[in-house]
Amino acid sequence: MKTQDTSFFTIPFGPCHPSSGHFHAVLTLDGEQIVNVEPDPGFLHRGFEKLMEYRTYLQNAPLVDRICILDPFAAELGYVNASEQVLGIDVPERGRFIRVIMAELGRILSHTTWIGVTAMVLGQDSGRNIAFGDRESIIRINEIVTGGRIYPCFFIPGGVRRDLPDEFPALISELFKRIEKNLEQYDYLIFNNDTFRLRLEDVGLLNAENAIDYGATGPNLRASGVKADVRRDDPYEVYEQLDFDIITQEKGDALARFMCRRMEMEESMKIVLDALDKIPDGDFKNKKFRPTSKAGETETYFCLESARGEQCYHMVADGTDKPYRVKVRGPSFSHTLVEFPKCARNATIADIPAIYWSLDPCPADVDR
Amino acid sequence: MKTMTSSFFEPLKLLKNLFKKPMTLIFPMESLPPLEYYRGRQLLDPEKCVGCGMCSKVCPNDAIKMVEYGEKKCPEIHMGKCCFCGLCAENCPTKALEMTGDIFIAGYDKTFAVYDPEKLSHRE
Repeated sequence: MKTQDTSFFTIPFGPCHPSSGHFHAVLTLDGEQIVNVEPDPGFLHRGFEKLMEYRTYLQNAPLVDRICILDPFAAELGYVNASEQVLGIDVPERGRFIRVIMAELGRILSHTTWIGVTAMVLGQDSGRNIAFGDRESIIRINEIVTGGRIYPCFFIPGGVRRDLPDEFPALISELFKRIEKNLEQYDYLIFNNDTFRLRLEDVGLLNAENAIDYGATGPNLRASGVKADVRRDDPYEVYEQLDFDIITQEKGDALARFMCRRMEMEESMKIVLDALDKIPDGDFKNKKFRPTSKAGETETYFCLESARGEQCYHMVADGTDKPYRVKVRGPSFSHTLVEFPKCARNATIADIPAIYWSLDPCPADVDR
Repeated sequence: MKTMTSSFFEPLKLLKNLFKKPMTLIFPMESLPPLEYYRGRQLLDPEKCVGCGMCSKVCPNDAIKMVEYGEKKCPEIHMGKCCFCGLCAENCPTKALEMTGDIFIAGYDKTFAVYDPEKLSHRE
């Protein structure tokens, strides 16, 4: 909104703002109230879709990790599934189970980071410290299993790069004991804290109809009462063999989105334990896949449930060892560009961090 | 779920933190040891290397160049370009390359980042 009227005041939110995470939006204010939010993405643009056209199917696996730094396993999982479909490669059952286990750990990793950042931007530093401690212990398991801390580069077309170590179940039970103990701490410090709840209740309302119209997916959609989850609606990998519930909330405000994510952490832990019980022995990798494997002339569309919502890959292959075109649909794109301005309108300026982080966007995923 | 209690003695619970171990490490003095499979810088065994160039072909970032070393070709790795994915070590047919836990590879100029076969074959 361009105006000379002195009753309006514009201030930038980001890209170098502690609570924006490199996302830029221009807020127009009337006093304390927000009149308009103009999102301006592009600060983190790295051109992944073009870069992927110059790399082979194997070389793209380390690249897609970087799409969303906080949830690398989901980005990898979508990419390898799409490329397996164009390459025509099967994956052994054990490989699929290992992928699901690591993808669910990735979801917990992403949600703990989100708890930490949210606690920080809303002024609760103890919550931040505990959450980042949890994140560190999950990262340590990443390091043991995959060899990388932040960028695992673990899934490749045809399976996974390494089998789970023998001590993995023990590590997981130790980790979950820690997270369960800390979830009580989070409840005490954040989710049941009156100061927090007052800041979040009836803030950034998004009803079910609007959430669908605005392209919301994942926890943001489920918090509005819509029972939609790709893991259940269109099962990929081995999710149809696993027991889990889909967490939904009714109200669709910031608090509902918070609670949805908090309960999803428990659900993810349930999935990991269930998958560890059912994991079969055998190969974890299809040896048919070579670094120079060529795809057929075909195209595919694959979507999965990442920590933030639906992550989709549209891949076109032209018969060479490199994809002809890859389109990535990141969940955060609609969260920041559509839902955030709609939710933030008519809120006060102090509610902006609460609304923004209740949507849990990843600016790296928006710009790609 | 536990609810928030408002006891007068609640803040005294914080005192028990005085007897706990610190959660962080003070970096230059002590650091977290890298684990077995950690992907740090590569280590080359020039005797095993047959100079096939597979590592430079699979490298996603074009960080590896094959250079003359003695009578054959061996990899030279630019650590500034390397993303430590470990595909070179994994796809090496003779396992001449391996990933080590060496992460302290920072230097003061760009030439420090180029690891020729000689430098690459020495630990530290």
